[in-house]
Amino acid sequence: MDNELGSIETEMKRGFLQLLVLVLLERDAYGYAMVRAFRDLDYEVEENTLYPLLRRLEKRGLIQGKWELSEERPRKFYAVTAAGRDMRAGLLRIWRKQDETIQHMIKENQHA
Amino acid sequence: MHKNLETYLEEISHYLSGREEREEILSEIRSHILEKAEQESGPATAASLDKVIAAYGPPRRVAEKYLDGRPVIAPAYQRHLFRYASLLFAVHFAFVMFSVVFKRSFTIFPFLYVPDLSSVIVDAISYLPMAFLADFGAVALVLYLITRSGKEIKLPWPKFASDLDELQEPEAKTLAARIWNMVEAVIMVALSAWAFRMVARFHTLFVAHFDSGKFQPLFKPAPGRTLSLVVLIMLAAGTATLLIKMFSSSRRLACWVDIAADTVALVLIGVALRQQHGNLFAVDVPARLVTWVYGSLTVILLVVALFVAIDLVANVVRLGRRRPAR
Repeated sequence: MDNELGSIETEMKRGFLQLLVLVLLERDAYGYAMVRAFRDLDYEVEENTLYPLLRRLEKRGLIQGKWELSEERPRKFYAVTAAGRDMRAGLLRIWRKQDETIQHMIKENQHA
Repeated sequence: MHKNLETYLEEISHYLSGREEREEILSEIRSHILEKAEQESGPATAASLDKVIAAYGPPRRVAEKYLDGRPVIAPAYQRHLFRYASLLFAVHFAFVMFSVVFKRSFTIFPFLYVPDLSSVIVDAISYLPMAFLADFGAVALVLYLITRSGKEIKLPWPKFASDLDELQEPEAKTLAARIWNMVEAVIMVALSAWAFRMVARFHTLFVAHFDSGKFQPLFKPAPGRTLSLVVLIMLAAGTATLLIKMFSSSRRLACWVDIAADTVALVLIGVALRQQHGNLFAVDVPARLVTWVYGSLTVILLVVALFVAIDLVANVVRLGRRRPAR
């Protein structure tokens, strides 16, 4: 049961993480800082999943990456682009609609 | 420079080779692992890096997440692979038969070349597995190219022959099936015992009772011994297969037993076909009759070989498809 739940959770997270990243990157952040930010919110993200996702979002022009070499260690900072903001708005609409649908169905079940 | 980290990155790089952004991907992972190790345990050491690397995941899995994960053959076409390969192989097999019977080669450039396989029949038998692999590869290549093209192509689905991808698991044995299995085993044990007794008595299985009143061997000693051995091994293998299936309810074991029996049968058919008919008979037989008998036997054995090969492939597919018991 736990394994099955874990595998469904992974599937659900796949799309949700894109939305989370687009929301978080309203302020510039690099990969490890993002992992910590999610952890502070009690949301675990697999590190090896986050970086490939960042690359895909960057390729699609939804975020923009820039290497920062002035600090002690090179870090790639990302920020959401205008196209990313549009996408985020669309994804938020979908997410709210999904939430409304589920809440509505749960209420109906309770009254039945 | 941390050796364990660089080794880890090199392994990831191995799976990413060819990708333009490889160096950038590795730099980002390096930066992440070093920073995490320092955040968790102070200045990075081999031990702290090992811990972070282990949590990051095996190199292949990490690299795979960067790949687009497109299948080599689109899922919708995967069922066509075995179907088309088996149909192509059937055509290929027919050409092999023609080559043996008509003693000539066939070429349909660049798709097919079947050499003249009539002189040494065992060549025809050993040619078939290679022909199947070539057919399988050719079909896989076409399906790969169709997948890569990204076009919506509806491939025909011929409705004949057996479907390897629709093979069913054998049903659990009923009481009637068990009784029939037992009867078969008894018959096979009796046949094997009779064959062993004949060989012990006459040194060959192939004897005839002529007017002289004595049993005479039909074949010359050397081929007679070889062919008798072929039949004895076939009977022994058949008996062993039935006995194992009778005393075991494991379907996995049954598949393995069938695969072993089919393989033995193919080898033995090859050995039988290798006998030169000119030197076979120890009794006077008209030359035309010898040619006719030999030609018919060759065709029969090749057809049997085809069915055995189909059963072999079916059992390999069944075995490959079985899930481990939960």
